[in-house]
Amino acid sequence: MDLSDSVLDHLRHVAALPDLSSTRYELESEIGRGGLGIVYAAHDRTLDRRVALKVMDAALAGEAQIIARLEHPAIVPIYETGTLPDGRAFYAMKLVSGARLDGYLAGSPSLAERLRVVRRIGEALAFAHTRGALHRDLKPQNVMVGEFGEVYVMDWGVEAVAGTPGFRAPDAPLDERSDIYALGALLDFVLPAAASPALRAIARKAMRADPGQRYPDAPALLADIERFQEGLAVEAWAEPLWHRLRRFVARNAVLLWLLAAYAGIRLLLFFLRGR
Amino acid sequence: MDPDTAMGGPHGHFPSTQLSLLEAAAAGLPNEALERVAALYWKPVYRFVRLKFRLSNEDAKDLTQSFFATALERDFFARFDPAKASFRGYVRMAVERFAANQYAAARRVKRGGDIEFEPVSEQAASTESPEQIFEREWQRQLFALALDDLRAHCAEAGKQLHFAIFDAYDLADGDRPSYADLAARHGIAETAITNHLAWARRMLRALVTERLRGVTAGERDLREEARRLWI
Amino acid sequence: MNKIFVGLGFGLLLGALDGATAAFYPETRNLLTGIMVGSSIKGMLVGLLSGWFAHKVQSTKWGIVVGASLGLLFAFLVAVMEASNGKQHYLEIMLPGFVVGAIIGFLTQRMGAPRLATRAAEPRA
Repeated sequence: MDLSDSVLDHLRHVAALPDLSSTRYELESEIGRGGLGIVYAAHDRTLDRRVALKVMDAALAGEAQIIARLEHPAIVPIYETGTLPDGRAFYAMKLVSGARLDGYLAGSPSLAERLRVVRRIGEALAFAHTRGALHRDLKPQNVMVGEFGEVYVMDWGVEAVAGTPGFRAPDAPLDERSDIYALGALLDFVLPAAASPALRAIARKAMRADPGQRYPDAPALLADIERFQEGLAVEAWAEPLWHRLRRFVARNAVLLWLLAAYAGIRLLLFFLRGR
Repeated sequence: MDPDTAMGGPHGHFPSTQLSLLEAAAAGLPNEALERVAALYWKPVYRFVRLKFRLSNEDAKDLTQSFFATALERDFFARFDPAKASFRGYVRMAVERFAANQYAAARRVKRGGDIEFEPVSEQAASTESPEQIFEREWQRQLFALALDDLRAHCAEAGKQLHFAIFDAYDLADGDRPSYADLAARHGIAETAITNHLAWARRMLRALVTERLRGVTAGERDLREEARRLWI
Repeated sequence: MNKIFVGLGFGLLLGALDGATAAFYPETRNLLTGIMVGSSIKGMLVGLLSGWFAHKVQSTKWGIVVGASLGLLFAFLVAVMEASNGKQHYLEIMLPGFVVGAIIGFLTQRMGAPRLATRAAEPRA
């Protein structure tokens, strides 16, 4: 039997479709594929709602139990996990509509919006870490931004499979600080080309090769970003004097203008008077 | 668990669990392993050397034959390091080395060269590299073998109808008949068509996975190849 | 420290400094102490009222407007007083008074304990 290319591709496609007959889901369509598995849109017959089904090799299914118990606005809720007859594992989770982070950035959001997204990711990370869960594979492909600006971080707890190298920490056993590294890489990723050196410095600090030199936790990184947004000095960056001055002036602009107005008036009156 | 989807089924004609290559080699069954490798790799190797070294049909066949006859010795499997490459990549590199040696020897013997350069008809049209052709042919052959397994299994398990429908739909090159057509043709409901197709596809997947297991060296290799295989 | 105290404090300080600029004018140099005291009192009044306003309303913009208006008002009153003594210094008194008032208004908005905290700090109704 000599298979033509088109038949071969067709078979490769249909034989990959999951057999959901033993589940309460009905396959609708394929949404996308990651390095780990394929995500489908499906219909939950019992609850009459659409869900996302992620199908993958059983060995790659992560810490589903821990993740499923995490309830956080930025963590996609997992409804169910199970095994398919062909041995593959699946997660049923909330179907998120929106764009992946790289798609979202293509819409040229403002710096404030970008930093807001990073903050949401950091908050999710902080939350998960306090509950003992790691992400292990944080990268732009795992972040979704919904149509109303909701941020979701997906694919928790599954160790990266030769994924995007730029976001993976060189640490041998991955821990919280590896997630910090990835958060820094994400910050670097969302920053526009002409971003402030202070923000780049924050990203770089999170991405130090030595985990001990990074931020100790996600809230510390977020606090530094917040300091930047309030015009304060950033922990990660030793700023040159002129920049420090510029920042001082920017922060205290109103007061400086008022004082300048006073000085100006005094001088004016003085010269008008002393004629 | 559905006895039909259990590996081998009630009338399975191949071992219920395929040993991986390394397991087979370690268990001292290298001939069996070699046969499996040859069954799968013959066509891919042939097409690869034909394209890569621009050989005529005859020369390519000769080269392929001698490769399988001589290069695949016992320690072919022992020398393979799963950490470095997939087994498929390893075979390809071995072929390249073998071919290079052959031509070095050939040129020493036959001055002026005896190798005919016959443009392979597909060569001009194909934009794929020889390496990509090699992988594609490997996939093609893997599926072809699994389809043979499926046909045999259906014949033995009395599921000829399932196979007929699968053949008519999934193996159709070009226009596919509609479910309604198939239902009418075989005198069954459309839902039955859907079910039969689903069954055949699941079975095919399982068979492909088993074949794949028999030509990969261990779980990691298997997983990597599986990842590349499914669209 | 609540906003009223901030207002009183800065009103005193800025008022005194503003009054001290009279030292640059030879004709007023000998009246310096009197002017400084008067200016300080003016500043404290502006500060007190601005602080009270800041306590009730959180808005930097309106704080400046209120402070400036109060500064202008009190400066006007002083200028009228001076005018009745035969000295017409409306511009010299009101213009700086306006800006100093604005500064005091700004500072009472930005500094000192805001409304919620003072509510919590007051256990008795």
